[in-house]
Amino acid sequence: MVSGSRLERLLRQGEFVLCGEMSPPQGADKAAILKKCDYFRGYVDAVNLTDNQTAIVRMSSIMSSVFVLEGGCEPIMQMACRDRNRLAQQSDLLGAYAAGIRNVLCLTGDYQTFGNQGDAKGVFDLDSVQLIHTVADMNAGTLLSGDELKPPPAFFIGGAANPFAEPLEMRIIRLAKKIQAGAHFIQTQPVFDWPKFEKWMSAVRDAGLDQKVFIIVGVMPVRSVKALLYMRDEVPGMSISDECIKRMESAQDPKEEGVRMCVETMQRLRETPGVRGIHIMPVMWESITPRLVEEAGFLPRPEPLPTEQVTAEATETN
Amino acid sequence: MSKFTEAIAEFTEKHPILYRCVLFGENLFKKAVFGCQDCGQCVLSYNAFVCCMRCPKQMRNGPCGGTRPNGRCEVYPNRPCIWWLIYKRAKWMGRIEKLKKYHVPVDRRLEHTSAWMNMFAGRILPLDLSKELREIELPKKDPPPKW
Repeated sequence: MVSGSRLERLLRQGEFVLCGEMSPPQGADKAAILKKCDYFRGYVDAVNLTDNQTAIVRMSSIMSSVFVLEGGCEPIMQMACRDRNRLAQQSDLLGAYAAGIRNVLCLTGDYQTFGNQGDAKGVFDLDSVQLIHTVADMNAGTLLSGDELKPPPAFFIGGAANPFAEPLEMRIIRLAKKIQAGAHFIQTQPVFDWPKFEKWMSAVRDAGLDQKVFIIVGVMPVRSVKALLYMRDEVPGMSISDECIKRMESAQDPKEEGVRMCVETMQRLRETPGVRGIHIMPVMWESITPRLVEEAGFLPRPEPLPTEQVTAEATETN
Repeated sequence: MSKFTEAIAEFTEKHPILYRCVLFGENLFKKAVFGCQDCGQCVLSYNAFVCCMRCPKQMRNGPCGGTRPNGRCEVYPNRPCIWWLIYKRAKWMGRIEKLKKYHVPVDRRLEHTSAWMNMFAGRILPLDLSKELREIELPKKDPPPKW
């Protein structure tokens, strides 16, 4: 047990977890976040708060995470390396921990030209593996400078993996590096290409990595075939199978079909060995989450045991 | 590295003109051959002799998630993904094991200094031409003066 966060306790108890995702508002009012919390409370075990995703300015992920706590959900704060150097990242992490945030997802971040302020300077002082290592060091009580932290934070550290990008062997090497650097859980890109995902998952299992880290696989409900085509053509690193596109194209009601497809993927993932949870990414469609969770048969959500009891039952996973 | 190379580095760093000549020679060679980005802490020998700092995100520990299916960069679709190149070259050279090394954060003080002299002085990892992965512990040393 590292942090004792709800997400960590559930994972170590052996439960199959669900994570949601919320993008903070482009505005200076927290009401939007509190409202979105209603879609997640009781339906998922933790919610990701994106950090200026696709390099578009939004409310900071740290403050949004604090508001999510206020709204009664558990946040997973995302932290990208694009906007901050190592000094800012470390101080933000300390502040975040003090504010009650226990889960952090370390990312490199989309390149600044993907957003609407391509003229900005990209920092990329650390990369995601180094950031994971830094957080692990902070958990152990030291900053990058070697200064001692009194008291140190205790984050549940996450990393990202893309099962669909080539070359596969390099992806596994990088995943192993992240685990070695200190990642406790891994979240992936959404699955729209089952054969490719299976290939990656079996490579992960062959390397024994699913025993060392909790793998939480992404799914995404889509509303139209246009969204799928956009992701296939414009979002690098995404893989959409022709089967998915055909299915959405021929659907009478694409919205319904999108939900059905997502639910099927979720049910399939539950049966996949090595997968310990699902990360639902309803981009700008948070209100669909309760329906997805219910139809996939994940209700009611389990309650975590108190920290002391979980420690006794802790699995071999790090 | 050794007492001898440390003495060379120390001597060179004391003489600005000599140091600049070394740096110029190093840049001339490494920029032309490897597209060197002058980080001053060369990891070419770990990355199958492809400079990872040419990546727009300067990824030192492997590719980001955005590599396109045809092996192109997500930021510049007409350029190859650097880590794709590194992987292909490492595979060809039998140096995949080397890619498993964790690289510590870049010491920004070493940017635009001579990586050769930094290597001689023992500030950075020495050139490693073996195919296996070897873990090397580095002592903490002050950066060179900037001329």
